Amino acid sequence: MERGATAQCEDRFYEFQDAFMLVPRQIQSLVVHSSVLLLLLACGCLSRSPSDQPPELIYGSRGQSDGKFFKPRAVAIDKEDHLYIVDMTARIQVFDRDGKFLRSWQTPDSTNGRPSGLAFDRQGNLRVADTHYFQVLAYTPQGELLEKLTVGGTCGFKPGEFQFVTDFVEDSQGNFYISQYGEFDRIQKFDKNGKFLLDWGAHGKEPGEFLRPQKMDIDEHDCVWIADAANHRVQVFDARGKQAKLIKIWGEEGHDIGQLRYPYDILLEGEFVYLCEFGNHRVQKFTRDGQSVAWWGRNGRKEGELDQPWGMVRDSRGRVHVLDSYNHRVQRFRL
Amino acid sequence: MYGYQIAFNQPSYLLLLFLLPLLWLFSYRSLSGLGPVRRIFALGLRTLVLVLMICCLAEVQWQRASDRLTVFYLLDQSESIPRPTREAMLNYVMEEVRLHRRTSVDGQGGDRPGVIIFGREALIESPPFDDEIRTIGKLDSLIDLRTDATNIGAALKQAQASFPEDTAKRIVIISDGNENLGDAQTIARSLVEQGIGIDVVPIRLDSRSEIAVEAVRIPADIRRGTPSELRVIVNNYKEPTATDSGTVTGRVRLTMKQGQQEQLLAEVPATLPPGKTVLPFQHTIEAPSSYTFRADFVPDVAAEDFMQQNNSATAFTHVRGKGRVLLIEDWEHPGEFNRLVDALGKQNLEVEVMQSNRLYASLAELQGYDCVVLANLPRASGGAADDAASFSDEQVSMLVRNTEQMGCGIVMVGGDRSFGAGGWSNTELEKAMPVDFQIRNDKVKAVGALVMMMHASELAQGNYWQKVIGEEALKVLSPADYCGVIHWDDFTSKDDWLWKGGLTRIGNQQKSMLAAMQRMQPGDMPDFDPAMRKTYTALFNNPAAVKLAIVISDGDPSPPDPKTIRLFSAAKIPITTVAVGTHGPAGSTPLQQIASSTGGKYYVVTNAKALPRIFQIEARKVAKPLVFEPEGGLQPQIVDRSHEILNSIDSLPASRGFVMTTLKENPLVEVAIQSPKPANSPENSTYLATWTYGAGRTAVFTSDAGNKWNDEWMKWDGYEKFFSQMVRWAMRPVNQEGKFLVASEYKDGRVRVVINARDKEDEYLDNLNFNVVGSGPELETIRFPIKQEGPGRYVGDFPADEAGSYLLAISPGRDAEGNDYAPILSGVTVPYSSEYRERESNQALLLTLASLQPKGGEAGQVIEGDLANNSLEEMLKIDTFRPTLPKAISSHDAWPVFLLIAAGLFFGDVLVRRVQMHVAWIGTGLAHLWNRMRGREEVSADTRMDRLRSLKAKVGEELDTRRAATRFDPQADADVPQRSLDEALADAGAEGGAAPPPRPTTQQSGPHGPEENTYTERLLAAKKKAKKDLPKSDDNPT
Repeated sequence: MERGATAQCEDRFYEFQDAFMLVPRQIQSLVVHSSVLLLLLACGCLSRSPSDQPPELIYGSRGQSDGKFFKPRAVAIDKEDHLYIVDMTARIQVFDRDGKFLRSWQTPDSTNGRPSGLAFDRQGNLRVADTHYFQVLAYTPQGELLEKLTVGGTCGFKPGEFQFVTDFVEDSQGNFYISQYGEFDRIQKFDKNGKFLLDWGAHGKEPGEFLRPQKMDIDEHDCVWIADAANHRVQVFDARGKQAKLIKIWGEEGHDIGQLRYPYDILLEGEFVYLCEFGNHRVQKFTRDGQSVAWWGRNGRKEGELDQPWGMVRDSRGRVHVLDSYNHRVQRFRL
Repeated sequence: MYGYQIAFNQPSYLLLLFLLPLLWLFSYRSLSGLGPVRRIFALGLRTLVLVLMICCLAEVQWQRASDRLTVFYLLDQSESIPRPTREAMLNYVMEEVRLHRRTSVDGQGGDRPGVIIFGREALIESPPFDDEIRTIGKLDSLIDLRTDATNIGAALKQAQASFPEDTAKRIVIISDGNENLGDAQTIARSLVEQGIGIDVVPIRLDSRSEIAVEAVRIPADIRRGTPSELRVIVNNYKEPTATDSGTVTGRVRLTMKQGQQEQLLAEVPATLPPGKTVLPFQHTIEAPSSYTFRADFVPDVAAEDFMQQNNSATAFTHVRGKGRVLLIEDWEHPGEFNRLVDALGKQNLEVEVMQSNRLYASLAELQGYDCVVLANLPRASGGAADDAASFSDEQVSMLVRNTEQMGCGIVMVGGDRSFGAGGWSNTELEKAMPVDFQIRNDKVKAVGALVMMMHASELAQGNYWQKVIGEEALKVLSPADYCGVIHWDDFTSKDDWLWKGGLTRIGNQQKSMLAAMQRMQPGDMPDFDPAMRKTYTALFNNPAAVKLAIVISDGDPSPPDPKTIRLFSAAKIPITTVAVGTHGPAGSTPLQQIASSTGGKYYVVTNAKALPRIFQIEARKVAKPLVFEPEGGLQPQIVDRSHEILNSIDSLPASRGFVMTTLKENPLVEVAIQSPKPANSPENSTYLATWTYGAGRTAVFTSDAGNKWNDEWMKWDGYEKFFSQMVRWAMRPVNQEGKFLVASEYKDGRVRVVINARDKEDEYLDNLNFNVVGSGPELETIRFPIKQEGPGRYVGDFPADEAGSYLLAISPGRDAEGNDYAPILSGVTVPYSSEYRERESNQALLLTLASLQPKGGEAGQVIEGDLANNSLEEMLKIDTFRPTLPKAISSHDAWPVFLLIAAGLFFGDVLVRRVQMHVAWIGTGLAHLWNRMRGREEVSADTRMDRLRSLKAKVGEELDTRRAATRFDPQADADVPQRSLDEALADAGAEGGAAPPPRPTTQQSGPHGPEENTYTERLLAAKKKAKKDLPKSDDNPT
C-alpha cells in the first residue's frame, strides 16, 4: 500500500530534523534566530498599513518651466484622464495620467492672488475658482477662455456676488453650486442659465454653518458634499428643494485615524468618500457614514510622504493623484 | 567604478597599515591550533577588520564626480550702461539657457542656471535651479539694488557663496567692466584656483555726448556780509569733428539751501565748448548758518547729454554766528513747545522748529545747529500707514554722530511720548544719553506684553518684511516686557509659538529671540481663530499692565469666531491689524472689523517698507507703563547745586510726572535733579541728568516742558533761565581766539584739506596738533593726519570713493595759555559716483578676467555681440554650459558602513576561531543530490535513519562516558606508568595536537566499577610524581 503524502512529509521533516541535529550547535542557533528574524520581518511586511505603500508614480518638482510646480493648489481630471493642475504661479498645466506634460496656460490676472479651485462642468469645460477675483472662470480643455460663462466678479453679499470663491460643482440637472468663504461662508446655487436659485450657510461652527468650505462634490442623488475645512468636518446637504437641508454631518478635529484636520478636498467614489487633509498631510478614505477604512501619506519629503496637500483626483483606473503642494509635486497611488 | 571613487579625509592614518605584518606575525603563532585552513581564514578576517578600522580612522569617503554645471550669470545693472542694454541682458540669459542647458547629465539631473544682478552691491535674482530661467519680463530684485556704482567683486563673491557643491561651476559676467568699487581681479583669481570658470560678455559703450557738472567751488574765507565768488565747473566731453564743433548749449541753475529752505540764486544760459568751462557767480551770505550750494545743468537738447545723474554738483560751507538750536517736535502735536521756543528766544538763542514728518536727510543739514532739542518726540508717529513718520536708523545715527564727532549738543525733553515710552529703546540715541530708556528693576511694575501674529502673505518678499517687523517691534520692548510670536508652522501644521514658552519675558533672551525671528518661516494659515484663541489665553493670563496683539496678514485666512473677538474686547486687549496686499474688501474688511471691535488700529500697507514703522508705533503702546504719574504729584529735588544748568536756581516747582529711565553706571554721568518717587528705585527716578559724549554733550530732562505735568513750571520765574541754561550747557563751543581758514577740495578720488591758522593778531599759529574726525556719506568715521607744511599752513588728505557729503570736525588743539580751541567745521561734497564719469568700457579688465584659467579646466571665453540691438545670434554660438571645467566631486562619508562591515567581520573572526564547523554533511548532501540527478538507487530512508540513530546512540554513549570521567568521585589512585615532568607537561600543552600517550589498560566495570583515569587526574598524578623526584634533582644540580 502506498504511503500517504502526509506520512511522507512527516518522514521528510524527521529526516531534516535529524540531519539538522548533526550540524554544530552555534549554527543551529544562528539558523533558528535568523528564521525567527525573517519571520518577524515577513510579518511586518504583511501587516504594513496602506500608508506605507510607496507611490506608483511621482511627477513634478519645484520650478516654473513646463511640468514643474510652485505649490500646486487645485486639480481636476477630465474624461480622458487628463489632469489640470493650477499652482501659485496661476498657471494651469495639463498632464496625462502618467504625469506627461501636455500643455499649459495662464489665468488673465493673478496680481491679487491665485486660483484655488478647479472642476469640470457637464459640457467638459474647465471651471476655475478665481478666488481673489470673486469669480469662476470657464475654459475649454485647450485653454481658451470662455468669457460668457464667467460667473461673478463682484465682491459682496448679494445673490451672485462672492467673497473668496473656492469651488464649483454641477448636478445632474445642470444646476451649479459655488462655494465661498470670508465674512460670509456660504454656497450659492444657480440654474443652468446662471440664474440665482438659493444660498445657504453662514460663517460659524454650528451645523449648517461653515468655516472655509474649500471643496464640494455631488452624489448620485444630487446631494452636495462639502469639505468644511476649518471646522474639520464633512457636511452633506440636500438642496434640491427651495431650501437646503442638512442631511449628514460627521468629522472631528484630530490627528488620529478617523479624525480630520483641514480637509481641503473631497471626492466621492462608489460607497467611499476620500478626503485630502491639509493639516494631517494625508488622504483618508471613509465610508459615507464617516468610518475610516484606509489612509495614505504622512508628513515629510520622501516618497509616500506629503507636505500640506491641497487637492486630489481619481483616474479611470482607480488611482489617486494627490497634490503634494509644499513638496511641489504630484504623487499617484492606490487606496 | 560607476562614477564613484574612494578617498580619505585623514590619509595620515593610513600609515597604520604598516602594523599589518605585526598582526600577521603574532596571529600566525597564536592561531596555530586552528589547523592550516581555519588559521588562514581567521588571519584573513582579522586583516580585513584591521584594514577597515584604519579606513574608518582615515575617514574614508565615497566620492562621485559630476559633469553637471551650475552657471551664474552676473548682470551689471549699473547706470553707466544704457538702460536698453541692461534690459536686454536677461533676454540673452533666457535664450542661452534655453538653447544650451543640458536637462540630464549622467542621469543626475540637468545643469543649473542662476542669475545675480549687481551695481553697488550684488543680489540674487534667480537661485540656481535645475530649470530654465523664467521671468515676468523684468528683474524682481532691481528695486532693492543701488545702481550708482559697479562692484564686480561683490557679484563674484555672491556667486561663489551661492554655488552648490555637487556641480562644476562657471560665472558669466555681462558688464562694461567699469569697476569703481571692490577688486574683481583678486577675487577672480581666488575663484579660478577653486576651479570656477569665468566667461565675459563685454558691453561696449558707444562714443557719446556727455556733459558733467564737476564742482561748485566756494572760497575758503567766505564771511558774513562780504560778497564772495562761487565758481561752477562744467565739463563737455564731446569730441569735436569736422562737421560738428561739439558745442552744447543749455542753462545752469545755482541754488542755495539753508536748513530746509531752498533759494534760487541764479539761472543763466550757458554755451559749452568741448572741455572745461568755469562759470562765476557772486553771492553775499547775510546770516550765519550752514549752506549747501547746488549747481545744475539742463541741456537745451536732451540727446546731447547721455547721463542726467552727473548734471549737478553741490558744495557745503558753514558760517558761524551766535548759537542756533534745532527743536524737533512731534508732527501730530504741532506748537506743543511754543512756550519753550519763546523762552529760548528771549535768552538770545535762535531756535528753528522742525516737525518729525519733515526730518533732516543728511548730516550736513545738522551742521547749522549747535544744539538739537528732541521735545517729547516719539521715534515713530502717525496713524494710517501712509502718513506714519519715523526716524530711520540712519537719521538716528546722524544725530548721534553730529554730537559724538561734531560736538553738537542733544537735549531730550520728556513727555508721555519720549524716552522708552517713545520707542527709543535699543537705539544709538539711547547709547548717547546719560540714562538708559529701559527699566531693569523688577520692583517697578512697568511691564507690557505684545503678541505678534504672522500670516505669510502673497506679498513679494513677505517673509523678509515679517522678519524686519518682528525685529523692530522687539527692539522697542524692554527686558521686563513680554513678547510672543505666533504663526502657522508648516512643519507641525498648526499655529505655533515661535519660541518655547510662547509669550515670555524678554529678559536677556532678546538676542535668541531675534535669531528665532531670522529663522521664522510663517506658513499659510487656513483660519485665524485657533491662533487668536492661543493669543488670547496667553495675554489674558499674563500679569503685564499693558497688553496688545498685532496681526499682519493679507486677510485671506477664515475670519475668527465672533466669540473670540468678544473675549479680547471684554479683557480690553486691543488687536491691531495690518493689511498687507489684501485681496480687496473680502480680505481687508475682516481685519478692519477685528481692529474696530477690540479697540485696536487698522493699517493698510501699500509699501512694505512702511511696515516696521507701524510696528514701532504699535509696540510703543506696550512701553507706556514707563510713564510715571504718582498720585499727589511729586517735588523734584536738586541733587547737585554746583551744576552749571542750576546756576542761580535755588528751588524748583512741583511736578505731576515724568518718564522712568535707568541711570547709566558711568562716572561721567551727573544727576542734577531727582524725583523722590518712586522711593524704592532711585536709579529710575532721574529728573535731570547730563554727561559728555565724544566731542559733544547730552542732557535729559525726563519731565515735560509744561504741557501736561509741569504747568507750575510755566508760571515759574526761572523757566526761561532753567531751559536756556540747559541748552547753552549742551551747545557746541564757539571759537573766538583764532582765525582758521579751511579749504577742502575733491580731486581724483581724494579730498585734500588745507588749513591756514592765525591768531587774533594775525600772526601765524605754528606747531598746532590738529585732530580730525569726520563722517562720510555712509556715516562711516573718517580720521586722517594733518601735518604742517609751512608757517601757519597745515595739509592733510583722505580717500573719498563715495558720492555724498564728507563732514569734518577739525580740533586745532590748545593755545599758548592751554585753552582748547573750539573745533572748526568743514566739509566737501563729492557730487556723484564715478559711475557717472565713465564713458568707455573697461575692456582690459574683462579680458583679463576671461583669460584666467581655472584649475583643472580651460580658460574662459569672451562672448562678443551687440546686446543693445538685441542681436543674439553671434552670442549664442558660444555655449556657456560647455563641459570644459573640472568635474565636481561630491563626497559622502563611508566610514560608518566600513565600521559596520568591520564589526561583522570581527564576529566572523571569533566564529572561525571558536567554532569548528563540520563540512562533511555538505559533501553527503551534494552526493545525495548528484545521485538523485543521475537517477541512481539510493540507500533507503529507513536504512539511513537506522544508521543515523545508531550514530546518535554511539555519540550519546561517548558523551556519557566523558561526563562520568569528569565527575570527581572519591576513588583510589589507579596505577600509572612512570613519566617525567616534561612528558606530563607536554601532554598538557598538546591540546588537540599530538596524540595522547597510550592509556593504561583499566579494568572495565559496570556502572559502579572504577572509571577510566581522566586527563586531569593523569596530570595531577604526573605532578605528584615529579614532586617526589625533585629533592633528588636538588641534591644533584648538575
